[in-house]
Amino acid sequence: MQHAVKRIVLDVLKLREPSLPDLATSLSSINGIIGVNISLVEMDQNTESVKIAIEGEKIDIDYVKEMLKDNGAVIHSIDEVVVGRKLVSLK
Amino acid sequence: MAELLRKLTRRAKLYIQVTHVSEIARRYFVKNGMDGLMTTLGIVLGAWAVGAENANLIVATGLGACLAMGISGLFGTYITERAERKRRLKELEESLLSDLNDSLHKNAEEVVSVFAALVDGLSPSLTAAVCLVPFFLTTIGALIIWDAYLISFILTFATLFSLGVYLGTVAKENMLLYGFQMLGAGLLIALIIFLFGGI
Repeated sequence: MQHAVKRIVLDVLKLREPSLPDLATSLSSINGIIGVNISLVEMDQNTESVKIAIEGEKIDIDYVKEMLKDNGAVIHSIDEVVVGRKLVSLK
Repeated sequence: MAELLRKLTRRAKLYIQVTHVSEIARRYFVKNGMDGLMTTLGIVLGAWAVGAENANLIVATGLGACLAMGISGLFGTYITERAERKRRLKELEESLLSDLNDSLHKNAEEVVSVFAALVDGLSPSLTAAVCLVPFFLTTIGALIIWDAYLISFILTFATLFSLGVYLGTVAKENMLLYGFQMLGAGLLIALIIFLFGGI
């Protein structure tokens, strides 16, 4: 039985616009997502490096990638993926 | 329906935020609105200086100038704005080390160029039309030509003053001061044409 993705943490490079609240609002509007956290890591003239943590009942990673691309952001790496009935933490 | 409207509004807000078009549109609106007013003021004052009594001639000349300014603004701004936007998009792509095809930045570029062109094209026509309204009324026999001149001058200076007041609110400074500055520019044009008319 295949379980749904419950949590992902992404390392993302995004343009300064749209702003973090707007990007977070866009991501949180995706079906199956119940919470989004975006933390600023580094800021440049045109870009921002951010960590995006997403939690939900069933996260569609491809749709998240598409949404990020639409908002002028590219995923550098997927730093964490949690799948299964229980949220398992490394700590 | 409400959901679609909400999505469209949200998209439009994002386009405005991403492209900073509101500042540019504001600038185009005031600058070209003033251009339209000044051009029509020049035409009306010139006609008045030579004692022209043919309202049709003034309306046709004014509308011709409006149309020329409108079309020039529409095409000129669209091409210029699109070139600037493409340049900016390439800079962003270089920063991101990725293409921005199918992104809201790419879509916003096209939409915003059209929006800026419309503001630039319509603002001079709109303000110029205000000055020509009394002459329209003269052509249908509702006003005599000398009253039309007077009302047109009043409308022109009132519109100039309003544009100044609007700029004052944008700058969050003394609105009346900005209003009188704009009015001063209009009066300067009037004085110059009056002097030339005298010659």
